[in-house]
Amino acid sequence: MSIRFQRIFIIIVSIILISIAITLILYNSRNNIIFFYTPSELIDVDLNIGEKVRIGGIVKENSINKKKNIIKFIVTDNKNEINVNFEGILPDLFREKQGVVTEGKLINKFTIKADKVFAKHDENYIPKSIKKQLKNNDFWQKDY
Amino acid sequence: MFTNFGFYTLLLTLLVNGISIFSNFTGFKKIIIFFCRLSFMFISISFISLIISFIISDFNNLNVFQNSHSSMPIMYKIAGAWGSHEGSMLLWIFVMNLYIFLFSFNKTLKFKIKRWAIFFQSILIFLFCLYVLLTSSPFLLNPINVNEGLGLNPILQDPLLVIHPPLLYLGYVGFSLIMSIALAGLITNDIEESWIKVTKIWSLFSWSLLTAGIAMGSYWAYYELGWGGWWFWDPVENVSLMPWLAGLALVHTLSITNHNHFLKRWAIFLSILCFSLSLIGTFLVRSGILTSVHSFASDTTRGLFILIIFFVVTTFSFLLFLVKSPKEKNNLNLLFINKPTALIINNIVMLLACFTVFLGTIYPIIIELSLNQRVSIGAPYFNKTVIPIVLPGLLLMSIAPILSWESNKFKNKLIYIYALILLSLILIILSFFSTFSVFGILGLLLATWIILGTLFNIFQNLRKYKGKKYLFFLRTNNSLIAHFGVGLLILGITSSSVFQKEYSNSIKLNEKLNFDKYSLQLKKIDVVDKDNYQGLVGIFLLYEKNKFVGEIKPEKRFYKSNSMITTEAGIYNNIIEDFYLVIGDRNKEGWNIKFYVNPLVILIWLGAGIMFLSGIMSLWRF
Repeated sequence: MSIRFQRIFIIIVSIILISIAITLILYNSRNNIIFFYTPSELIDVDLNIGEKVRIGGIVKENSINKKKNIIKFIVTDNKNEINVNFEGILPDLFREKQGVVTEGKLINKFTIKADKVFAKHDENYIPKSIKKQLKNNDFWQKDY
Repeated sequence: MFTNFGFYTLLLTLLVNGISIFSNFTGFKKIIIFFCRLSFMFISISFISLIISFIISDFNNLNVFQNSHSSMPIMYKIAGAWGSHEGSMLLWIFVMNLYIFLFSFNKTLKFKIKRWAIFFQSILIFLFCLYVLLTSSPFLLNPINVNEGLGLNPILQDPLLVIHPPLLYLGYVGFSLIMSIALAGLITNDIEESWIKVTKIWSLFSWSLLTAGIAMGSYWAYYELGWGGWWFWDPVENVSLMPWLAGLALVHTLSITNHNHFLKRWAIFLSILCFSLSLIGTFLVRSGILTSVHSFASDTTRGLFILIIFFVVTTFSFLLFLVKSPKEKNNLNLLFINKPTALIINNIVMLLACFTVFLGTIYPIIIELSLNQRVSIGAPYFNKTVIPIVLPGLLLMSIAPILSWESNKFKNKLIYIYALILLSLILIILSFFSTFSVFGILGLLLATWIILGTLFNIFQNLRKYKGKKYLFFLRTNNSLIAHFGVGLLILGITSSSVFQKEYSNSIKLNEKLNFDKYSLQLKKIDVVDKDNYQGLVGIFLLYEKNKFVGEIKPEKRFYKSNSMITTEAGIYNNIIEDFYLVIGDRNKEGWNIKFYVNPLVILIWLGAGIMFLSGIMSLWRF
């Protein structure tokens, strides 16, 4: 192979690498983003069963039901409610009437099977996006 | 008292750096070195004052009041100094000063370049001093009179808080010096062999420390419940990875420039890019734009200030780069596949990976701003983009040692081909007898291939090596050793993520539960009473095929000062596997437990440790 040909070859390899990367980015950023909803928004949008979502809201009082290692609770924004089923160990700051974010698959319109439950490790923490939403819903109290 | 002392010395640091910037344009230029050392003295005093305030629990200091408690062990009191946003920014300035202080003793560079490097670093220090003083001073006085502090976040009360942030900053902020040296080289138009040598030393040093810092952080996240495991693609983790990848490209580029003095321009570009990425990362994390599990208290004005610093510094640097970058003849010896080509492809791959991580990290912001939709990008995006992108780089790395600098002939090419075929066969046959997974096979193949290849090369070099100084031998073969570390890292990542086993159940006292071939017995629950917390420790006995293996002690802690409960995982490691156990809530059926078996996970940190050591070791050559 002549040197000139080899250089062209390298440039082609680089271009191929870059285009593969861009394709991957575009493809995956479309298919691997998870939308974040409050309970009301989730009920408003039409999603397919089995789709992955994130739900943010407040854990409803007296809604936590633990049976063996399956935990059920309700996430609310004071307008609508979503049931969450979760198998695993809850974060330490998971409490009733506290902000929570869960991620999982939709098993029917009002229920998700969560595989992750986040409760941030800061006592007065409430995710910014939920705060915004709750303020709109007049559900905002100072002690959250 | 120490609070005021710290405040005024920080003010003096700002002042000295201001004068130092100015002095660069006066007739008496030698004085800049004196100012640089003076500034280091002041910032050291300031930083030590803060630590002393924490040690003596001086709650008249607002930062101490918010982040410390008199009952905490001394270790956490000291580490509390950088546990909060304010203190960590002071550490940031201290590290910038430390680097330029050490650099001021350099003898290889011409004074002209040295002077300009100190000048640029002084500007950075000046800006950050201003930032700390105006928006996040750790030396504010507490408006109310109190006898007790609020306590440090219990999650942070961990031995790794003592060592992880300083190490990480030494790497992450260390790139500021590399940028300053690059800018100095540009402005003096004097990029010689000595410049390359000095940049190489400092970039290897910073990059190695960053590797160690990230690895420690990942180990901490591994055993801390709620941080999503050793790598979660959390924004805070991503922003440390971006300069790491750019630094990796820089370190590799400098190894070619060292060999035939090309690619200087590219090296300068990467030097500037590394610290620019550090800055944008700091902005993303500290401004609160992105939510992260490893959070600092965030504030928009703070974010805005860093954003301004980022824009000013980056715009200036890249403009200077465009205007003054050296002309070079492009006679790089690129052949179909030789070392320079491999290194260039490595650079492309690293930067692509870096760009992908960056895009994934800021994607939620773009979507929120443009579509007003809130989204999150999780691990699947990163796994599906970053892994395929770095794969060609890893493949090249595995054959890099047999490539030559000039020609495109391979050495010992047949051995490699036979080895690869044999290895694939063995793995495919083995995988038939265990769980089959494409990613598992690919990862294991790549890892064993890299490990065997590098070992084979080290062995061959050793046979040729006639001397007796084996340490010297290791130093000259540091790149092979680092690649060996990468092999271990891939092996650890693959086996722990593909072959991980996960069980959950609830357990009563003295009950014995079976999980496949393992069984766990809850022997007893101990109550411990420490200064800063009370804890419940579950003593679990682990059996493998009814043979006793060891004890695992997961814990639940109650921190009195914050009235917070934390969960500490219990880990038993027998080198091959990690047995990872967490206790959850208690209910009628007993305690909820979650039990993981992570094969070879320890190799992740062993591999990173080897990469760190090989980087540090190579510095002795100079």
